[in-house]
This record gives sequence, structure tokens and C-alpha cells, in this order.
Amino acid sequence: MREPVLTWCVPLELLCSHPLPVSAFLKTQVKLYTYRACAGKDEMGKMVSVINTVDTSHEDMIHDAQMDYYGTRLATCSSDRSVKIFDVRNGGQILIADLRGHEGPVWQVAWAHPMYGNILASCSYDRKVIIWREENGTWEKSHEHAGHDSSVNSVCWAPHDYGLILACGSSDGAISLLTYTGEGQWEVKKINNAHTIGCNAVSWAPAVVPGSLIDQPSGQKPNYIKRFASGGCDNLIKLWKEEEDGQWKEEQKLEAHSDWVRDVAWAPSIGLPTSTIASCSQDGRVFIWTCDDASSNTWSPKLLHKFNDVVWHVSWSITANILAVSGGDNKVTLWKESVDGQWVCISDVNKGQGSVSASVTEGQQNEQ
Amino acid sequence: MKLKEVDRTAMQAWSPAQNHPIYLATGTSAQQLDATFSTNASLEIFELDLSDPSLDMKSCATFSSSHRYHKLIWGPYKMDSKGDVSGVLIAGGENGNIILYDPSKIIAGDKEVVIAQNDKHTGPVRALDVNIFQTNLVASGANESEIYIWDLNNFATPMTPGAKTQPPEDISCIAWNRQVQHILASASPSGRATVWDLRKNEPIIKVSDHSNRMHCSGLAWHPDVATQMVLASEDDRLPVIQMWDLRFASSPLRVLENHARGILAIAWSMADPELLLSCGKDAKILCSNPNTGEVLYELPTNTQWCFDIQWCPRNPAVLSAASFDGRISVYSIMGGSTDGLRQKQVDKLSSSFGNLDPFGTGQPLPPLQIPQQTAQHSIVLPLKKPPKWIRRPVGASFSFGGKLVTFENVRMPSHQGAERQQQQHHVFISQVVTEKEFLSRSDQLQQAVQSQGFISYCQKKIDASQTEFEKNVWSFLKVNFEDDSRGKYLELLGYRKEDLGKKHIKEEKEESEFLPSSGGTFNISISGDIDGLITQALLTGNFESAVDLCLHDNRMADAIILAIAGGQELLARTQKKYFAKSQSKITRLITAVVMKNWKEIVESCDLKNWREALAAVLTYAKPDEFSALCDLLGTRLENEGDSLLQTQACLCYICAGNVEKLVACWTKAQDGSHPLSLQDLIEKVVILRKAVQLTQAMDTSTVGVLLAAKMSQYANLLAAQGSIAAALAFLPDNTNQPNIMQLRDRLCRAQGEPVAGHESPKIPYEKQQLPKGRPGPVAGHHQMPRVQTQQYYPHGENPPPPGFIMHGNVNPNAAGQLPTSPGHMHTQVPPYPQPQRPQNGWNDPPALNRVPKKKKMPENFMPPVPITSPIMNPLGDPQSQMLQQQPSAPVPLSSQSSFPQPHLPGGQPFHGIQQPLGQTGMPPSFSKPNIEGAPGAPIGNTFQHVQSLPTKKITKKPIPDEHLILKTTFEDLIQRCLSSATDPQTKRKLDDASKRLEFLYDKLREQTLSPTITSGLHNIARSIETRNYSEGLTMHTHIVSTSNFSETSAFMPVLKVVLTQANKLGV
Repeated sequence: MREPVLTWCVPLELLCSHPLPVSAFLKTQVKLYTYRACAGKDEMGKMVSVINTVDTSHEDMIHDAQMDYYGTRLATCSSDRSVKIFDVRNGGQILIADLRGHEGPVWQVAWAHPMYGNILASCSYDRKVIIWREENGTWEKSHEHAGHDSSVNSVCWAPHDYGLILACGSSDGAISLLTYTGEGQWEVKKINNAHTIGCNAVSWAPAVVPGSLIDQPSGQKPNYIKRFASGGCDNLIKLWKEEEDGQWKEEQKLEAHSDWVRDVAWAPSIGLPTSTIASCSQDGRVFIWTCDDASSNTWSPKLLHKFNDVVWHVSWSITANILAVSGGDNKVTLWKESVDGQWVCISDVNKGQGSVSASVTEGQQNEQ
Repeated sequence: MKLKEVDRTAMQAWSPAQNHPIYLATGTSAQQLDATFSTNASLEIFELDLSDPSLDMKSCATFSSSHRYHKLIWGPYKMDSKGDVSGVLIAGGENGNIILYDPSKIIAGDKEVVIAQNDKHTGPVRALDVNIFQTNLVASGANESEIYIWDLNNFATPMTPGAKTQPPEDISCIAWNRQVQHILASASPSGRATVWDLRKNEPIIKVSDHSNRMHCSGLAWHPDVATQMVLASEDDRLPVIQMWDLRFASSPLRVLENHARGILAIAWSMADPELLLSCGKDAKILCSNPNTGEVLYELPTNTQWCFDIQWCPRNPAVLSAASFDGRISVYSIMGGSTDGLRQKQVDKLSSSFGNLDPFGTGQPLPPLQIPQQTAQHSIVLPLKKPPKWIRRPVGASFSFGGKLVTFENVRMPSHQGAERQQQQHHVFISQVVTEKEFLSRSDQLQQAVQSQGFISYCQKKIDASQTEFEKNVWSFLKVNFEDDSRGKYLELLGYRKEDLGKKHIKEEKEESEFLPSSGGTFNISISGDIDGLITQALLTGNFESAVDLCLHDNRMADAIILAIAGGQELLARTQKKYFAKSQSKITRLITAVVMKNWKEIVESCDLKNWREALAAVLTYAKPDEFSALCDLLGTRLENEGDSLLQTQACLCYICAGNVEKLVACWTKAQDGSHPLSLQDLIEKVVILRKAVQLTQAMDTSTVGVLLAAKMSQYANLLAAQGSIAAALAFLPDNTNQPNIMQLRDRLCRAQGEPVAGHESPKIPYEKQQLPKGRPGPVAGHHQMPRVQTQQYYPHGENPPPPGFIMHGNVNPNAAGQLPTSPGHMHTQVPPYPQPQRPQNGWNDPPALNRVPKKKKMPENFMPPVPITSPIMNPLGDPQSQMLQQQPSAPVPLSSQSSFPQPHLPGGQPFHGIQQPLGQTGMPPSFSKPNIEGAPGAPIGNTFQHVQSLPTKKITKKPIPDEHLILKTTFEDLIQRCLSSATDPQTKRKLDDASKRLEFLYDKLREQTLSPTITSGLHNIARSIETRNYSEGLTMHTHIVSTSNFSETSAFMPVLKVVLTQANKLGV
């Protein structure tokens, strides 16, 4: 059994076919074991402790795992074309649902806010988005959106204040927005050519009301400004805003990455006027974008770190003070902004690897 | 789908993967003539700009060359990561020449772009490849079996990989191994491939199927597996791709027969070893999986043959193909719609033609319409199999409660190399704790609150204080829990009553020594001087004139003395006149003391003397104005510019017991964003609230907006560190603020199995209608009016036991609105009897049907779980809260006054009358004895009547006779203390105590106290009767230490206060 510790693992097969001479290969392996031996003792081990290991029984790669609003249910999706839901309360792992319906690998899952019921969206290489819903204790397909011409790579629910709205980003370059209009109907808006050769990620801005809430006439819904960010194969991050006529317009282009943007994550609002977005890329860079003045809408990037490998995913903690970064070397690092505004790695996983990590990532880059 | 195209008949080379942006270099092909039959040649560089949706590629530079090319590659040698473009372009020419170009110079427009040139080869150089491990090494192949290895650092003299193969033949392909740097392969149209080991300097293996039909047009090594390679044949009779494994070199491992005619070029993706591109004379471009032979994708092309095909090294989804019709096309294999592109083309066309009247005919062109058919064809499907580069292998996402969900796809070591590997498919849920100190301090605070060990907690804080101010604050807080708090405050401010007293006595003694001995006779002079006049006035009893005369003569002391004799009115007037005249420094203080006008002092004192002002207030102010005065002083300090004084305002607020203002002041002074500074604040606030609850009998149940915000921020922080239970305990529980109610709901659910007795959260958000996939049983739900604000419950899988489904009973109005399909309803909205907020209107108490309402419970009831939620409990008057929460509830005043007075202390076990049903709550019997025990006769503790039975008259049960003695004894003792106590503070405490003992009496009425406690109380009562209070205190300690805290916390501390006071007063 593998130790269920959140660590770094080298795909051994890479080492086996490593281009170094045999002697160098042996050396690497020794170092590898040395590292593994101390991996459990490092700082990360203290800060991050595994409390539940869920054996998903997926038959192929897992691509996403998301907890619901309360942190009591886990949804996973995989290349085996299935979506699974587990009850993970109190350290348990009870399979609630094994959802079949996609005809290709399922890339992402997203939970809707519980005020709308138990709703999960999934997107797949089969060009479809499926909205699943629990009804009478059983999960069933509630809606299927087949409006994309290529792999749908990302789904993200809008803040619940806006209603039930799902943004979907696809390799066909388009982003579609599904809005539930009642009676089982979904209205579709599509942004074509949002990102040439593909949109990889979408992430909604937290709900912010322009001006004070007091200004709003009581009883009326506040006049939210809906925004989301997207990242794509054109190396760009784009910010989109809903115009008054309901059309989506590109509001901003954020350029700093030199390769595909793999993920974007708009930080949750913690009541400060600053907006923050994290982005990660194939180029190994993670940027933190901040906008202090909503009216000027100027965003400035700060390089969090340049990793040696593709960075696949970034995720903010609920309190928006910690960023989890997942890299192609199966490594997860946690980052926090220090008092002087610098981003520091608070998990020690990255430290003390030396040449091992360098050589391994090089191997992976070749593979990529 | 096609992204770009360039009209060139040319060889092509992508910029290396390191280069950003992406460039495509083209060099005029030596093999084909273009449509113009031009013999000119050029080297061009284009930029791949994907943000530009047009099909055109942006040309960056053109260099007119004297050569035409058979092969063009772009090596990363001396790659400068900073520059826009770098590396080296290596071209194979027609006459045995190899030319090195500097692409940065080409782009810069330099004339001298050739780095080096060598024409050592014989015949056209058709094969070139760069070693990916040592990018300065380039292999080339030409006629006569010539293979050279060039070192770009020493370009003049190439090496050979070994002796030339015989017979001499053309070298059409050459390729370095992708895994082992010293292995090279070459192939020729004859069909033979040779593998060279450069360390041995000889061919190590020759690969051939002996069919003589393999005319090698392509050769590529497996990107991952060192021993595997593919060979492509251009012979129409054998249009195959052979996959060889050098370990079994007798025959091909696999043969791909997907092309109908000869294959002209192949390219193996470095990003995904399962993608091999091939183009052939059947005009097809195929992408197949060489490991299985399956065709994954067929590019939509025109009918032209392609002679060169290349993956873009940087963008793995992009490839380029050069076709014989003189065009280089750039494609994406991810599919997608080309509608946008077409539209762009149309737009461009019409703009080129000058709007709608291109020919100036005066008649605009009809609008262009794209045929419907084209639109359908424009959708290009992606690869059948997702390419490796979009398969996310790893992820880590945060979720509520500081949990991190991670997964990784660890491939287990396998003997089959790149073959299908076993994987473990685990997801790990981890707890992330980043604020250890914060958590441990929060723990300590909770413990202090639970154990009531406030004094020792404060003392610890004082000892650990880093700054004088911090020490002060904690000292002030500590005093709240001690007797004679005002005196102790004074001490803290530097004024000791005893000291002053001693000084005073000393002075008196000294004075007395000088006192002239009285006695003897004296004259009553009535002469004309002032003395005489005064005498006359006195003799006539005219005090007023006498005082006036004295004042006139500046005989102040005489005047005052006389005024005292003249009565209150005169005295007051005289005092006023005196103060008006007197100019002494301390006059105003004296004024305030005499006039009892402390507001004046507080309002007008120099803020530097805030300590003195506070001391004065502490000494003199009446209980009812004390807090207000402290507040006032605090406000003044806070508004002062001096930041030092601003912080001191906190001390005033602590004296005043004004939690809300303390929070405001503290927040202003400190950076509250850091968890530890928030912890600093919360510690003080919690302790102060406790103090206020104990001493001031103030209504602390209401939580101000600011405090509520801070507390929920604190709860959020605790939750983010995984301390869900602690977060719940600190969360203000009697507020209607939606964000707090939402957080409470989230915390409760996050705890997994909700703790027994934990109250179900209140409607945190309005329940929305749910999307439906189909009609059917769900339809009923849709018809539900929106007005029914339901609470969301995710635990639909645990429907409540039938006996507990009371939704309809509780609210007949709602019952009518319940959906007809109960099954569905219960999934989403289990009918837990929710204490709905009456503001919603629909839940107004019904006039009839009161039977089940006894199980209703107002929102502020506390669960009998002392550990998790004693801290923020309301201690004040529950009525006021309830009224606050239910402004619309028609509660007659009479019912209110007859309402029992028990105060809700922390953790008092109000039995969960209303259980969170369907969750494993307390057994129903737990709450039964009280409720059902007295049918028809309402019991003292049934608060719920205010909500559900507003008109019902509530009377208390009598205290059982055997316990009546307790009440009389305690009340008697308090009365005795009151009559002998002089200090207003003490009196207030006693008053409060007598109110609070109502809790005890209520418990006695209900007989809910355990026998040990009641017998202990009787012991105390006996010791009171014998006036042995210290013995009573000992018994008290014994009871507290042996009993359940939650059971006794409501009255035992108060009883202790009474006993202590009685002991002190000696009544």
C-alpha cells in the first residue's frame, strides 16, 4: 500500500526509460528513495494530514474531485467516462451514485449551490455537458447540453445570487452559458472564438454589487455585475462581463503567460475591494492578478512561482488566503501571501529535492 | 480544423518548444516549382498568432536566398530564452551544402544571416535532425550513404557515425533516438534502416523486412520507448507504416495499413506518443495510434498531396502540412467550428471590395449568404481519443472546513514499459491547518469559558502580555470577575482608597495638633463692620443676607457653613456662587463632586487626564449612569487624534462593558485581518461579555452588527482551520443576519452527523425552485407558491420518523402548500419542523390546533451540550430577544408579565423540545417529562408558547414545599445583605442575584435538579441560617465541582456572589 500522504511521487516508468547512463540512473533512484523517506516528516506532513482516503474504484485516470458546499459529499470524474458521488462524512466513503452518460473522459465536475437542490454538472471530451440531479434519493441526468463542437474542458457555476447559471469552456474555442429559466428549460448563450483552439478553464467572479446595498430598492434583486474569467490555448486570460442587454462582452485580456493557460481561479470575496485571480499555465508559471480599483479595471500580475513543469490546477481556500497549486509532477504545494506581499510556499514539499526533481521534470517535459 | 494558411511551396520548420511566440520558418522547396515557375528562393518566418482569427499568417521576415531547400529544421541550440526568437535554422541544400542561419538576424532584417555553411556532402541533403539531449549535435544524410554528425561549435569538421553502409544509397531520413542520446537511425528509399551507436562508432542493427517494397520516406523513434521506431513507405504497392522494436528486429511489431497509396511523410507527437501523423499520395492526412494501429483522426484536407508534415513543438494541438499545390496549412486536431473563420473571410472580402458596391455600379451587391450545407460541414470533430495533454493527471481543490481534496494518477512500476499500466485511483481528503497558534489560543479560550476560570485566564494573559497596554486591558478585564471591581479599577488607575485614607488621617492628626483649644467666652459684636453686619443678620435669622455678606467679604468657609444651616436651597445657591467666584485648579472637580455632574468632567476634562476622569467616574458615578459615562469618555478618547489615547478608549469601554464599542475601537486600532489579531480581539470580547453577564445584568444577548461580523469572521477562520465545532460555538446564535445563518447551516451540515441537540439552522437562504428534467411527480412542486420559504436540507436520504413529521400540523397554512408527492419533497426539503421566522408571514401562529406546538422552540434556545456552545449564549432577558425576533407576533403584555423570568445562561439544558428530526437527535423521551408531564397546565419552561400560543396565559407551578425553604432562605439573605450594603455596586449585584436565582426556583418548580444538587442546596441554606457563610461557600464549591456544569451554571455563580457578600457584610 502506498502511504496515504499528500506528497510527490515520481512516475517510475519515467525513470526506467531515463536517458541518463546507467550509473546516473542508479544515483537518481537512490536520491529518490532518500527523498521519499523524508517526505513524510516534512513540514507539509504537519500542516496537511490525510483524514480520509477514498478508493474511487475508477477504472482509469481521475481528472477532478470536488466536495459539495458542506464538504460532506465528494464527486469524482474519470477517463473511464463515469462520475461518482461519495458520502464522505465522518471519514466514511459510501458510494452514493455512479453516473453513466458521458461517452468520453469526464474532465470536470461542479456542484451547484444547495439552495437549488443537489445538482452536479460534468463536462467531457464527448463535447457534452450533463447536469445531474438528485431526485427521490437517486441521481439522474437532468439536462444534457450538446452545444459544443469539441471537448468541453471546464464547467463552473455562477455565484448562487445570480440564479442557476453554468459557464462551460470548450476546446472549440467557445464558452457557453446555460441559464436555468424554470420548467426544465435552459437558455444558452454562446461566446464564439473566446479562445482560439480552446478554452481550458472558466471561473466566476464572486457576487459583488456595485455601490452600496442600501441604494437598492428593497424587494428588488440587487443589480449584480456578472463577470467571469477564462483561460485558453491562446495563452490568454480573458475577463467577460455581462452587458445590460444580456450579451457577454470581453472586458479585459490578461497577458503574461507564454503557453496555454491551464486554469484560472477567481478568489472568493472576503469583503475587501481588491479582486484577485490566480492563473497557471503550461509554461510552469503561476500568476496572481490583482485589481484594486474596480472602476479602472487595471490588473497587475505578480509571479507566484515558476515551476519546472506544467501547472494544471489552482484552487483558493474558502477564506481566499491559501492557494493550492497542482503540478504535472503530481506535486501539490500550498502558497500564502506574506505580510510584505510576497507569495511564499508554506508547504515544504518543494524544498530539498535538488536534482531529483529537476531531472524528473525534465523527463516529463520531454514527454509533454 | 484549419487555423492558418500560407501560399508557399516550401519546406517548413517550427520554432523550438522553448520559443515564444511560435514561429514557422519556410524555405523554398527544391523539389517543386510553384505556379510562377520562378527560380527565386527565399527563407521566410511567420508568426502563429492564434488570437487573430483570420486565416492569414503574419509574415515577420523574408530573406532572399540563393538556395533552394530539401530539408529545413530549427534547432534550439544556444537558445536565448529572453529574445523573441533564437536558436538556429539548419537547411539542407541541393548541392551537398548545409547552411546555418540565425533566425533572429533574419527577423531583424540583417543582410548577413548565415552563421556557417559547409558543402561536404554529395548530392542534395534530404535528411537532418538535431540531437535533443545535446542540441549542438546535428546529423545529416545525403547521397552515397553519407551520414555526418556536425558539432555546431566546430562546424568545419563533421564526424561520421561509422563506416558507410554498402552498397551506397541515398539517405532519405535520419533521426536521433528520443531516449538514448548516442543512438541514431538512418533510412533510405531502398527500405533499409540502420541504427548507429555513436559510442561504438558502428551500426548496431539493420532493420529490413526484405520485401524490397519498403521505400522509406519517413523514420521516427518512439518518444518514450527507446527501442521502438516506425518506418513509412512511399511505395504505392506497400503503403504502410511499420513499427519495429529493435529487441525483436526480425519482423515489424505492427504494421499500419491505413493509407491507400504511398506515404510521403510522418511525424510522431512528442506530447503524446499515441499520436502519429502521416500523409500520403492518397491525399489523406491521418493521425493514428501507432501502438494500436487505430486511426484517431482524419484531417479534412483538399485533394492535394502533402509532402511534409510537422507537429508544432510548443503547441501540441497544432500541426502544419505542406502540399504540392503550393500551400502550407496549419491545423488544430482539437476540432471546432470554422464558422467564425468563414464569417471573418466574408467580412474581409466585402471590405476589400469597398462595402456593398465594389464596382461603382450604383447597385449594392446582394448580401452574401453562406449556404446552409457549408455551415453543417464546418464543424470538425476532434480526435477520437483525447490527447494526453488535456488529460489532467493531478488536482487539489479546497473545500469547506479547510479540507483539501487531492488526487494524483500514480503509475505503478510495470514491466511492460509504456503499455497499459496499473493505476491507483484514490482521492485523498486532507485537513489543512495553517494557524496552529490561533487554534491553540482559541482552545484555551474555550476551556476558560467552559471551566469559568476567567480570573486565572486573565491572569495568564496578564503574565504573558508583551505590552503595557495589553497588560492593562487584561487587568481591567480581570477586575470584572473580582469583588469590588470599581475599587480594583481605581487601583489599576493608580488610586488606592486605603492610601488616600491614610494620608488623610495623617493630615487630620497634624491639624488637630494645631487646633486652638476651644472654650472660654466670646463676644457677640454687632459693630458696623462686616462682622457686625453678619452678626446682625444671624441674630435675626437672615441666613441669606449673612451668606451674602460673607461671600462679599470673600469669607467662603463662613458662607458655606452658614448656608448649610440655612437649608438646602440656600446651600445650593451658595455653592453655585462659590464656584463662580473660585478660580482654583481643582474647582471644577470639586464642582462635579458636589453637583454630581460627572458628565461635565467627562466631557470637558483634558484627555491627558483621562485616567483621573475615569477614576472619578469609578468612584462617584451612579450605577445607572456609570456605563454611559465610561462610554462617553471612551468616545472622546477614540475621537482624539492621538493614537495612544485611542487605544486607551478600549479600557473605558471595558469598564463600561460596552462590547460593541470595544470591537469598533479595537478594530480601528489593530489590523484585524490576521488571524492572531482577530484572536486577540475575540479573547477580550468573549471575556468581557462573560464579565458583563456576571456583573452588570445587562442584556448581552443582542449581538451588535460589528460584533456579529467579527464573530462570524472568527467562526469562518476556525472553520477554515477545520475546527467546525468551535466555529459553531463562537458563532452568534441569535441573529437574523443572513450570512451568519448561512454559515451556521453550513457548519452544522459540515459536521457530518449533526450533533444531538444542535439546533437546526434557520432558513439560511430562500429555497429556489428546482430544475426539472421531466414532468411527473415533480410537477406538484412547481406549483408551490414562491412565498413558501423552505429551508434546504441535503439529508433527504434520512426521512424523519413518521411520528415527527409535524410540518403540516405546526402550520396548517403550509400544509396546504405541501407538494402532493411527498417522496420528492422529502428529498429536497425534509419537513423538519422549522421555527420559521414570522416575518415570512405564512407562519403566523394559527389560532387553533395547538396540540403539537409544545415542540416548537424559539430560535434562541440552546442545546444541552455544554462543550460546544456555551460561549455566546444569551444570558439576558430572553423576552426581549424573542420580541425582537418576532415583532409581528401578537403577544399581549399580560402574558409577557406572567411569563417566567428565567435567564438563559450558557449551556443550560433547555431540553431540545424541538429536535432536528430525521437526524439522530435526542430520544424524544428526553424532552417529554416536562412537556407532557403536566397536561393542560403549562410549565414554566415552555417558552414556545409566546410564539405559538400567544393568548395562552402562563402561570408558574409552585415550588414544591420541601424546597420552598431554599427560596425563602436565599431571598431573606439577599434582603439582609441589601439592607446593610452601602456600595451601590454591591446593591446592584445583589439585585441582579435575586433576579437570577429565579433560574434556580424554576428548576425547583420543575424538579429537574439532581438530588445531589438539591441536597447540597439545602446544606447551604442551613449554613446560611447559622450564618456560617464560609461553610456555605465550601459546600457551594463542592456542588459546583461535582455536578454538571450546564445544570448549575445558571444560578450557582450567583449564589456564590450572595454568599461572599453576606460573609463580607457580616449580616
